[in-house]
Amino acid sequence: MELKAPLAFAPALRQLPVLLAGFVIALPVAIVVAAGIAEGGGAAWTHIRDTLLLRYLTGTLAVLTLTGALCLLMAVPAAWLVTMFRFPGRGLFEWLLVLPLAAPGYVLAYAWSDLAGVGGPLQSALREATGWSARDYWFPDISSLPGLCFVLACTLYPYVYLTARAAFISQSVCTMEAARSLGAGPGRTFWSVALPAARPAIAAGLALALMEAAADYGAAEFLGVPTLTFGIVRAWKSFGEPAAGARLALVLLALILTFVIVERQVRGRAGTQQSSIRWRRIARAELPRPAAIGAASLCAGLFTLAFALPVGRLVWRSLEAGTHSTRIWEALGNSILLASAGAALAFVLALIIALSIRKKGPIATFARIAASSGYAIPGAVLALGALAVITALPAGLSGFTAVAALAWVYAVRFTAAGTEPMVAALARAPASIGQAAQSLGATPFRRTFCVDLPVAMSGAAAAALVLFVEALKELPATLMLRPFNWDTLAVRAYAYASDERLASAALPSLLITMAGLLPVILLSRQISRARPGAAP
Amino acid sequence: MFKKTLAMAAVALVSACGKPATEAPVPGAAEAAISAAATEGQVLNIYSARHYDSDRALYAKFEADTGIKVNVRESGAPELLETMKAEGEASPADVIIVADAGALYRFQSEGFTQAVRSDALEAAIPAQLREKDGHWFGLARRARVIVYDPQLLPAEEVDTYADLAEDRLKGELCVRSSTNIYNLSLLGEFIDRNGSEAAEAWARGVASNFARPPEGGDTAQIEAVAAGQCAAALVNHYYWMRLATGTTEERLTAAKTAVSFPDQKDAGTHINITGAAVSSTSGSPELAVQFIEFLATREGQAMLTSETKEYPIVAGAAYPEGLEMLPGFRQSDFPLADLGPNQAEAQAIFDRAGWN
Repeated sequence: MELKAPLAFAPALRQLPVLLAGFVIALPVAIVVAAGIAEGGGAAWTHIRDTLLLRYLTGTLAVLTLTGALCLLMAVPAAWLVTMFRFPGRGLFEWLLVLPLAAPGYVLAYAWSDLAGVGGPLQSALREATGWSARDYWFPDISSLPGLCFVLACTLYPYVYLTARAAFISQSVCTMEAARSLGAGPGRTFWSVALPAARPAIAAGLALALMEAAADYGAAEFLGVPTLTFGIVRAWKSFGEPAAGARLALVLLALILTFVIVERQVRGRAGTQQSSIRWRRIARAELPRPAAIGAASLCAGLFTLAFALPVGRLVWRSLEAGTHSTRIWEALGNSILLASAGAALAFVLALIIALSIRKKGPIATFARIAASSGYAIPGAVLALGALAVITALPAGLSGFTAVAALAWVYAVRFTAAGTEPMVAALARAPASIGQAAQSLGATPFRRTFCVDLPVAMSGAAAAALVLFVEALKELPATLMLRPFNWDTLAVRAYAYASDERLASAALPSLLITMAGLLPVILLSRQISRARPGAAP
Repeated sequence: MFKKTLAMAAVALVSACGKPATEAPVPGAAEAAISAAATEGQVLNIYSARHYDSDRALYAKFEADTGIKVNVRESGAPELLETMKAEGEASPADVIIVADAGALYRFQSEGFTQAVRSDALEAAIPAQLREKDGHWFGLARRARVIVYDPQLLPAEEVDTYADLAEDRLKGELCVRSSTNIYNLSLLGEFIDRNGSEAAEAWARGVASNFARPPEGGDTAQIEAVAAGQCAAALVNHYYWMRLATGTTEERLTAAKTAVSFPDQKDAGTHINITGAAVSSTSGSPELAVQFIEFLATREGQAMLTSETKEYPIVAGAAYPEGLEMLPGFRQSDFPLADLGPNQAEAQAIFDRAGWN
């Protein structure tokens, strides 16, 4: 066991995998940053800076603020209710509320603009019920900034819901009982004990949701809301200046970096560690009747808005339109293949990074920041960066390399989505486990493999599923990097929707959602079992 | 950096895509109908801005007839143009298919089309609908029509484009954004025909009649008319046609509206095209011409328009199902190649007129 002397170089060696992981992720980002700084940005940049930059920046800030607020409002009360109380339908809502994660923002944007448009079923029903004409009333406009935020929050709140619920579940019941025995009511227990303790997890979930919101292209474009990401793609597409797009990407990156730093500060200050390892099944309090009805309707309303109504509309549209198109099924196969490849690569990278984070070295921090910034960069920009790297290789961008390149871009984009649940799992584990291992003389290497790895793995299965769903939904990079004759479901849905053929876009949109559903359900069940001491 | 690296990517792409080793026969041999045996095993790369299942059948038919393997890259027209700019000389594209003469003009002015001669195409396609040197060819027509609510407006109040700028339509008009190429091309024709000042006066008049700020596509404007939010909208005919031949719900929407082909007593209704060009980077332009000639056959025309509900261009080609619901109309004889150069001015006029 005592191999310390021959392994003197081991600390450096142990850092190698995480250094590599960070490098793989950071490369396309670094290229984009370099291009943004080194290249002038072209004539288009002057125009964009003078007339559009402010609009893009305020647009993105407003989208992040409003989407973040909506996510918290949607997720945290629901997570608290389903974890702590008994009310009709609780067991059902516990996992139903995760389902919206399966539908990407652009799919919800298509469905909601169809539902809420002036000719859509909601307004038609309103007119029929009241006898009003379309000019007699005000109706919320989905093609607007608040509309975009609503749509994004509908699909992104599950990130917060999942992390918040996991945190509430993992909290030692003893802490809460102590609070209660000291005379705190359920409200006070929530605000003073449970919420502060869950804050790091909620912040992590919110960070993921907001990075996703910042990188959204499909929904913002479809709903016509100018954001930085929309501007980045437009700089490439309409102005023909990828360098100007890279400049805009710098602005977005700076924003995200600020964001990551703030989030880490918040988490640092909140650093509560569970000291008790006494776990018991949570004794869910029975809610009095009016409150129970309120809780059930809150959950039902949330599920209806975020999932049942828009997805139901897609089902209706697909059935109505029928299908005789084989290319949708080809696209389904392509989507699953690509998403699996991307998820596998991202998973390995995420695991390496998560395991190294406890060491808090500069390299681990670098890798984690690289992953976070990758998550925040729109796929279109990463695709440009990845292309530059691939061309330096002799193989070029043919069928297989294009698929590999896409898997790479997916990994760069989504590793953060895998790292965060694993890190959260590690952070939730009582610190004393690791300390015990150390005091028993375990080497850092042994501690990593025999203590941290199994703990991280409890979050890893969840992470792998999240990664698969994310890669399946990715749109802009897939549009740019896919080889000839190669469509994915996301590409089909986007193409049909931009042709104003929502009926045709419904089926691929629905299939993306369905393909994403199974992993999401498994993920949801897995988490409710992940609590130590929970019934198997 | 991007351009250089992307160009490198393209070189690699081409070598990997495997251009045929045997270079194609003699240039200009297109009309000599290359036999399937001669073209067997060759590859044709198409950059298309269309996303129709019927196009797939079209490619399959061409492959079966000629033995030429067809590769397709589908994307929006601006994305395809930027991809080609990035790929530069090394772009694998042989044929470019996009909608709107204005969009074809953008490819041409960036140097990505080449002049080709084809007696078959020149005979089949009216001169008005193709570029005079053969840089691109119109293959299907679309008309920019007025869709209106017949309960609110009599037909004669919306039978010219000028009607849309009249005060009596105040607060009654739904139109999509002016950045859209269909509106740019329409105003481009007016600039040429009536002069910039008249075109601007018209745009101002239209903008002052908006029922709501421009949002959504043409379909959304028709839905707004059907729902009663506005009385008239300016749209391409096939958006109405698709609703009229669509699902039950869509047919109900179309049934609440009527279609007017403007300017029948005057210059005729503004039309535009879906067209094809031979890429300047094509290594086998004769295959590209052969393909475009196929699109201009009666069979090709029927397949090209069956799902899009555009009007065929070639005399004698069957109309797509449903188009008989629309009346015959007189189309403007404006040469579409003249639209492109007016685009920038048209956008400037729209911006000044407050038409977002």
